[in-house]
Amino acid sequence: MNLGAAEPLKESLRRLSFAVTSSMPWTIILFVLFGALAIGCALAVVVQRNPLYSAISLIGVFISLACLYVMLSAPFIAAVQIVVYAGAIMVLVVFVIMLLNVEEEVRRPVRLRYLLPIGIGLATILIAETAFMLAVRGGAGAADVVGPPPSDVGSTASVGTGLFTEYLLPFEVTSILILMALVGAITLARRTTSDAAQGGAAYGGTPEYAPVPEMPRSRGMVQPGFTEATGQAHAKLEIASEENGTSARRSDESDEGRARR
Amino acid sequence: MEWLSDFVGPETARGIGQFIGINIAFVVVLMIVAYTVLAERRVLGFIQGRLGPNRVGPGGILQPFADLLKFIFKEEITPSAATRFVYFLAPIIAITASLLPIIVYPFGPTVSIPFVGEVALVIARFDVALLYVLGISSVGVYGIALAGWASNSKYSLMGGLRASAQMISYELSLGLSLVGVVLMSGTLDLYSIVEQQSGWYGMRWNLFRPDGFPQVIGFITFLISAIAETNRIPFDLPEAETELVAGFHTEYSALKFALFFMAEYVNMFTVSMLATTLFLGGWNGPFVEQLPWLGPFYFLGKIFFFLFLYIWLRGTLPRFRFDQLMNFGWKFLLPVAIINVIITATVMFFLLQ
Repeated sequence: MNLGAAEPLKESLRRLSFAVTSSMPWTIILFVLFGALAIGCALAVVVQRNPLYSAISLIGVFISLACLYVMLSAPFIAAVQIVVYAGAIMVLVVFVIMLLNVEEEVRRPVRLRYLLPIGIGLATILIAETAFMLAVRGGAGAADVVGPPPSDVGSTASVGTGLFTEYLLPFEVTSILILMALVGAITLARRTTSDAAQGGAAYGGTPEYAPVPEMPRSRGMVQPGFTEATGQAHAKLEIASEENGTSARRSDESDEGRARR
Repeated sequence: MEWLSDFVGPETARGIGQFIGINIAFVVVLMIVAYTVLAERRVLGFIQGRLGPNRVGPGGILQPFADLLKFIFKEEITPSAATRFVYFLAPIIAITASLLPIIVYPFGPTVSIPFVGEVALVIARFDVALLYVLGISSVGVYGIALAGWASNSKYSLMGGLRASAQMISYELSLGLSLVGVVLMSGTLDLYSIVEQQSGWYGMRWNLFRPDGFPQVIGFITFLISAIAETNRIPFDLPEAETELVAGFHTEYSALKFALFFMAEYVNMFTVSMLATTLFLGGWNGPFVEQLPWLGPFYFLGKIFFFLFLYIWLRGTLPRFRFDQLMNFGWKFLLPVAIINVIITATVMFFLLQ
């Protein structure tokens, strides 16, 4: 009889919890959460004066955008977003900030006076456009944002098929563009070397990268059987021979050796 | 599971199940990690001809708990010149990024559990699991880099810079050495990758699979770059004791140091799981079709093999010099990984015709 009394109670409890949890708008809650996180981090990128804080906030923006992509059932785009932006590009940015030890930026009110109204104007236009699109599309707006898209646009297979069939030309052209940027960066970085080799330190050429005249291997090594006296004698001999050798070499060397010294 | 979904609906029931699964996985992994530390100290002791910690409990079995208590009761020191927010954020990023990838690895075949029913032993299964793992592990660099920067100490900064340079360099070889396996499997879903390796009495592993190009080169490049990614000897330049005091965690003490310490060992564990899953057939092994519960044991056994390899290397090899590290990564490991991708792609092209 105890069971008989408990059964309707259990049933009503089941109905209640079922109703509560199944009516819970999980997607909307998550969308609001990650959307707010993205906007907050984006604001922090602009407002922070320490460049490293801005970089960290930008990472936050990328990660919350990736979460939004997952909710739009585009997991591949989300993963690529994290691998490429948060994982590779921002690491380089943070690395450069740490390496150069960039100080906090001083506030420049003169530039800000022009930039602030322009920024507000652009933001107003963007918000107006979005509102216009939502109004034209009718009431579809809010419901569509969180609903699943009709096809498997974001899956790995469809992205791969698209890249290698329909969009093959743009894909290859983009990759050549990136390759060109890479080659250009390397050429720019190596310019100091060729400058130093030509003998002109026109760009403040770093002498470390100039070709070093070759030295005999054995020199400077302590050989077995040396006492202090023989060692000193050997060192004197070394110095003498080095002076001779370098002066002899210096005469037939081009400017590069002198540029180093 | 049915009675739970009666109460809260199928979606929420699945969510609750995953939540419980994630928590169990974290606890299990952290326990294994604690004992990996003990095993490392004992094995290193054996290699170096001494005993290692054997006082706490029989054979030193309670040493991890003694260590933990000591970590908790140590004084928390924050350097006065540190950037406080980032200084506290860095260990959190490190441990989070190392724990998150655990949930996607399948650790056993479909088994029947009493009261729950037929369950595939994987916590979360999704389309891009491999990319997810790579993405999260690339975010883990920030923990180390920011720790080095925020401590405001020259040794820490050097360690952080070294860590980020090293991890960017070796991440490329790591990613490229996985491409061969992805080409052979045709998917990024770790569960399907493991399922494709069953057969041959559970020995049809990607390491020596005949349909396609056996991934021996890929496995070796992966192993080397994985050791570099986890900052272990011989690639432990970010925390080289003889040069940088303790590298990026010089200024960290007590539980914050413990978080970095745990993150390093959890990273070792997850990288071992990745190697097992992709190259050594995950939970596959002899008789796993007849006795599905053998699966998790095979999986753990293979992971323990890799963890032992890590410790063995630490007891054996000296540390690289930084220029050697960079030359090795960019001029040797990366070309070899690319060659592996090209060969595998060619073989798969002709096989698929």
